[in-house]
Amino acid sequence: MKARTGYSTSLKQEFLKKWIKGIRIYSNFKKDMNILERKKAIKLSADLAIASTRNASTRWSRTLTANISKNETNKIFVEQIFSDSEVIKKEAPSRLMARSNRIASKKIWRRSHITQIKARKMGPYAVKARSIAKKLVKNRTKVLKSLVPGGENMDGISLIKETLDYIVSLRVQVDVMRRLASAAENSTRSL
Amino acid sequence: MQPGGRELEAMNINSLLNQEQSLQEMNNHQNGQPQMSSHFDPTSSHDDFLDQMMSSIPSSNSSFNWDVSSDAARADHALPSTLLSQFDDQSAQLISKLRQHQISSGAAKVLMLQQQLLLSRGLTGNGLRTPSGASGGESGLLQIPLNLTNGDHADVVDGSFQSTNPADDASVQGLFNGFTGTLGQTANQSQHFHHPQAQNFGASAVPGMNQPAASGSTGGGTPAQPRQRVRARRGQATDPHSIAERLRRERIAERMKALQELVPNANKTDKASMLDEIIDYVKFLQLQVKVLSMSRLGGATAVAPLVADMSSERRSSNGTQTASSSNNNETMTVTENQVAKLMEEDMGTAMQYLQGKGLCLMPISLATAISAATCHSRNPLAATNNLNTSNNPLISGEHGGPTSPSMSVLTVQSAAIGGNGAGEASVKDATSFSK
Repeated sequence: MKARTGYSTSLKQEFLKKWIKGIRIYSNFKKDMNILERKKAIKLSADLAIASTRNASTRWSRTLTANISKNETNKIFVEQIFSDSEVIKKEAPSRLMARSNRIASKKIWRRSHITQIKARKMGPYAVKARSIAKKLVKNRTKVLKSLVPGGENMDGISLIKETLDYIVSLRVQVDVMRRLASAAENSTRSL
Repeated sequence: MQPGGRELEAMNINSLLNQEQSLQEMNNHQNGQPQMSSHFDPTSSHDDFLDQMMSSIPSSNSSFNWDVSSDAARADHALPSTLLSQFDDQSAQLISKLRQHQISSGAAKVLMLQQQLLLSRGLTGNGLRTPSGASGGESGLLQIPLNLTNGDHADVVDGSFQSTNPADDASVQGLFNGFTGTLGQTANQSQHFHHPQAQNFGASAVPGMNQPAASGSTGGGTPAQPRQRVRARRGQATDPHSIAERLRRERIAERMKALQELVPNANKTDKASMLDEIIDYVKFLQLQVKVLSMSRLGGATAVAPLVADMSSERRSSNGTQTASSSNNNETMTVTENQVAKLMEEDMGTAMQYLQGKGLCLMPISLATAISAATCHSRNPLAATNNLNTSNNPLISGEHGGPTSPSMSVLTVQSAAIGGNGAGEASVKDATSFSK
């Protein structure tokens, strides 16, 4: 498992800085926004900020940035924020597809072979139970893949790694946003 | 118990992180408490909306200890992933130690080394056992410095009682402390304290391990081949395929352990329910981000389109998901969407619609006050449909548990909470009617 660099405070600060910078740029960009646009701006800059803290080293951050940049109006915004080249295009899918096909065919052979061996050894019921469990896991993995950005064509191992990273970043995001929101409310209240 | 010993060996060598999890399991089994400790934390802080938000998120388990208590005294903490790297180093050391012993003397010393580990884990695990249930988010335990030695385990125990809901972070911290202590000392800990735990641990660890290592190995009388990374078991083919498969499975298991520390309520043994928890947690966090991005944005009138927008977003992104949402959720979502639509046109019609359903609109602080005062069990709250719209009216439905008076208070006080002078403030008198 790859070691992760030290965290929270520095990460949160970085995220906060980028987020506020994003919001500022957005509001300069578009002077008068109604509430929906404001909400979108906030969410957008937050997502961009948290994705950029990973410096495009993880799949989800790249995908997130790419998805945001798909929208034309956002693209300009994105490029303005990230003058340094952090916006990296996704890897060419062809390479991944070839690899996954080869692996898939090997897996199919192996699976059939192994189930035969197991059926002989353990009896039919255990095999059935095992296959049901596998089906459950497979379904849930599919759902997880849809949740994590960029999780579509990743295998189980890296998917879990990405999820780990994604969860950590989400938590940072939520924490900072909460604190900012409560700080803002406290300040207005005390006025 | 030779086979059991060998199993333990194998487990150690494969992943030391497994032990944490099975230890927790064991502890929980011993407690006999369900992990879904229904603990609702009526915070009096301003950020109540998130608590309400959370309680509205459906789940068959009422294990919402993701309740993030927004106390300012929260210290920042090193997230478990940093600890993971430490675990790797230390596990490597331990593995080499174990190997040496294996080569030289055989099972006896290995078991002793294991016992050391188990004892250290047992100590910290025991200390953290009583405040059961994991909770997400940060906890007050974080003041414990990372350089606690074994002598300070009392602090760990005390510290764990301070926090309302010690998170898995805390448990990881505690375990990490225990770990450093172990490596620093030889096995001179209070053995009497740990022996029963170690034994139980041995017993429960084996079934715990057999699940992930479902390669169908008999595990009996395995010859040790110290040079290989993975040992061959008797009765199992040693062809590269199965070895690779086993390796892959072990890597997945490792990562799942790491995830377990991060996700609350992650004491599940099998992959499927672990994945379920992970999915729910990710969904929850994403929802929090969405809600937070629109909180504190403005007046009541302006919020209605936000609500509608959010629910439509959610619906579109949820197009493919089917079985995960419970029926309860379905009806709530439908109601929410309907109300959101109505709110856009006219608050009055929205209120009437809610009344027809037996629901009401109330500010969050009131809801929490009522829930704290009357509802003893979590269930009425779990059925509560709370949609927060910043400082603003909050839809809540109280079906009324056995003890709570089924009182629906019709109060729309948008201005009262925030003092923002929001646009509309249709304050109706509190009327109560029973269902």
